[in-house]
Amino acid sequence: MAEQALDQQLQEWVGRRGRPQVARDPVNQSLIRRWVDVFEDDNPCYVDPDFAARSVYGQIVSPPTMLDVWDKPGIKMRRDAESPQANVLIALEAAGFTSTVAVNSELEFVRPIRLGEVIHSVQTLESVSEEKQTGLGRGHFVTTRSVYTNGEGDHVGDVVFRILKFMPGTGRQAPPGDGPGGPDPDPSRRPRPGINLDNQFFWDGARRHELRIQSCRSCSTLHFPPTPRCSACGSFDMGHIVASGRGRLYSWAAPHHPQANGFRYPVLAGLVELEEGTRLVSNIVGCRREHLRIGMPLEVCWLDSHPALEAGADDSRGPITIPQFRPARPARRTETLTISEVAEGDELPLCPIPLTPTLIISCAIATLDWFDAHHDPKMAVARGSKDIFANIHTSLGLSQRWISDWAGPEAIFRNIRVRLGAPDHPGDIMTMTGRVSAADRASGAITVAFAGYNSLGDHVTGTADLLLPGGSAWPAKESK
Amino acid sequence: MSQHAYAGNTAVVGIGATDFSKSSGRSELRLAVEACVAACEDAGVDPSRVNGLSTFTMENNTENEVMRSLGIQELTHFSRIHFGGGAPCATVQYAAMAVNEGVADYVLCYRAFNERSGRRFGSGVQDQPAGATTEQAQYAWTSPYGLLTPASWVAMFATRIMHEFGVTSEDFGRVAVADRAHAATNPAAHFYNRPITLEEHQASRWIVEPLHLLDCCQETDGGQAILVTTLERARDLKQKPVVISAAAQGMADQQQMMRSYFRDSLVGLPEMATCARQLWETSGLGPDDIRTAVIYDHFTPFVLPQLEEFGFCGRGEAKDFIAEGNIDLGGRLPVNTHGGQLGEAYLHGMNGIAEGVRQVRGSAVNQLDAVGHVLVTAGTGVPTSALIVSQP
Repeated sequence: MAEQALDQQLQEWVGRRGRPQVARDPVNQSLIRRWVDVFEDDNPCYVDPDFAARSVYGQIVSPPTMLDVWDKPGIKMRRDAESPQANVLIALEAAGFTSTVAVNSELEFVRPIRLGEVIHSVQTLESVSEEKQTGLGRGHFVTTRSVYTNGEGDHVGDVVFRILKFMPGTGRQAPPGDGPGGPDPDPSRRPRPGINLDNQFFWDGARRHELRIQSCRSCSTLHFPPTPRCSACGSFDMGHIVASGRGRLYSWAAPHHPQANGFRYPVLAGLVELEEGTRLVSNIVGCRREHLRIGMPLEVCWLDSHPALEAGADDSRGPITIPQFRPARPARRTETLTISEVAEGDELPLCPIPLTPTLIISCAIATLDWFDAHHDPKMAVARGSKDIFANIHTSLGLSQRWISDWAGPEAIFRNIRVRLGAPDHPGDIMTMTGRVSAADRASGAITVAFAGYNSLGDHVTGTADLLLPGGSAWPAKESK
Repeated sequence: MSQHAYAGNTAVVGIGATDFSKSSGRSELRLAVEACVAACEDAGVDPSRVNGLSTFTMENNTENEVMRSLGIQELTHFSRIHFGGGAPCATVQYAAMAVNEGVADYVLCYRAFNERSGRRFGSGVQDQPAGATTEQAQYAWTSPYGLLTPASWVAMFATRIMHEFGVTSEDFGRVAVADRAHAATNPAAHFYNRPITLEEHQASRWIVEPLHLLDCCQETDGGQAILVTTLERARDLKQKPVVISAAAQGMADQQQMMRSYFRDSLVGLPEMATCARQLWETSGLGPDDIRTAVIYDHFTPFVLPQLEEFGFCGRGEAKDFIAEGNIDLGGRLPVNTHGGQLGEAYLHGMNGIAEGVRQVRGSAVNQLDAVGHVLVTAGTGVPTSALIVSQP
């Protein structure tokens, strides 16, 4: 009965429109700069007046996925008593659905947003779902649609946004068999490397996150594994160099059985050929088995695997850190792809995004999102999460950056639509993967279908429609 | 040019084995002694006349205990060769050298263990504490990353072979199918009457991608012994002598223990090329003279580069050589007519030497006609050995 009453209360607000919201500040370079800094988006159209003037935009524009950032109130967020969405959220929270996660965001870009424009938005409550059992818990999906204009009433874009309001502690239990019985994945339980006078320098370097390669001090020949005598010149005077950490996958193996403590199975073991020429075995992280390609570019990252042994043990100099490799971040394209260079089925390069606490927190704040679960670990746990997690604007912005780095600085985003799944928590790696799912030679329109996965599964799945130069839909250059 | 003095002047005169099982119910020492006694009985030589023993590392039965149980009063030669499964053919070489030099009269080569019912060999190094000797410290480059088992060490080579030559998992599978077909008619084989199809190979679970379960041999409980003496003595014994035409050891090019990942190319087996060169030079034979071969097959992938290193086909062509049926019983080079280690038993290659002897004698279960010379190889990925046995 109570449920029916709640549903009735919720449905009363559906279809209603809130009051127009006006951004507190005009679109400005300062907030854009902060955004591109934390998202590591080096597209000059957002910050370089000269480049932007020569570009299709004719002037500096806002990163597209900042569309619904400009009108955010930031830490001063207060619920507007006349907002249909706010009223629905208040009712749901009173009924115990106190936790919130964003699940969908669909941004349509009518035209680029320019410096100095004052963004207005009007939000309509599109729907409130009946109660559903989700992985996170029992809850309701709340969907809004917002129309964005500038001060003069020019339509600049639309956003459909869906959140799940759920009751903490009502989620599905982990399936049996995933728990005790299997190997313990704690990396400190991995076999400890045997350290002796021949290889000590390598492990001392690893503790400092230096990937060292033994080098003959007489003739500079590199050796791996290390050797006490240079086989090239006969010298016993052996030193080392610090490798760049870049290399390529030479071969790989994926152990499934038997399973040992310290690993998650299947393990991805790679033989990495460093750009200096030597090889070493390591783990490939931030990459699914099906995305392994011999020759793929890799970059080193580090796993602090083993705590220090007591003094007197062979490796008593400290804890052990082992090198791992992830797909290398692809370089940003500076010349925008033309439609003739793109075909349906083209794969975008894998791009790893290390999820540091700094990235998660700074991206939330750069998108004016001060919801505590994005920056406060205790509050995140209280809200039913294992740790802080990235906000949806982070997923949108990182997706935009990666697609734009692939397509080039002037590729025009027409929309980007994402759905979130497994949360992005600190310490993980999100790897972007995608392909061109449609390409229209005549107009220059393409669609990129993409996903960003972490160790828990797909964090973000989505599509983006872009326009590339060379087709009939490419706009004439805008004059300032 | 290699000209080994024992070659052509020494012979295998006796072979003996226990049953091959998953649970012998006997001690490893008893398996060793049973196999040695059987080899002596096969030859018609009383065990007490044996004065040399030759075995290889990862063997738990010490020479003195085997000697005591065989009733041997004194040993003048005992050798234990390093690197496990790479050494079985080397035990015969050392035995042949010893008898040819007059250091010993009769030398027993042996291998025996409860590798299935005891500590499982395929479980690898995972439960061993990290040591820091020269040998142990080499595992620091692989163990912390989860390469802990022989299958995992081989898989890294397999992926590269697939990449460079367009080899597929099915190409590896054809090796297993051929072995299991041969084992199916061998009553001594663990997989007697149990052939497999390529579809079953493909459907079998992953052990270490790209290796399926059916790419991997299974551990065995059992023992195998080989008795060696001079050709001159051999002529007076019970069996037709099987001449040791050549035998060789090989270690080459940045050699590591199953993890020679740091050499220029991963698609060949340079240590086996070292063996092949010595065998051909010593025996004066070539690939066309070999009627059948026992090719070490603890894991299917390394069968391919062995066929290439011995010149049965060109580099990268082994997949076609196999797919064309050449390693089957009716083919150009029937391989592992006893079923190999994938089909008969995994005695670290010792049982393969016995099959080579049977093919020369004419007593194999899948006996071929006109067998003049048989090639037998030892463990791959490790420092290794090989031999050729021939008609007298």
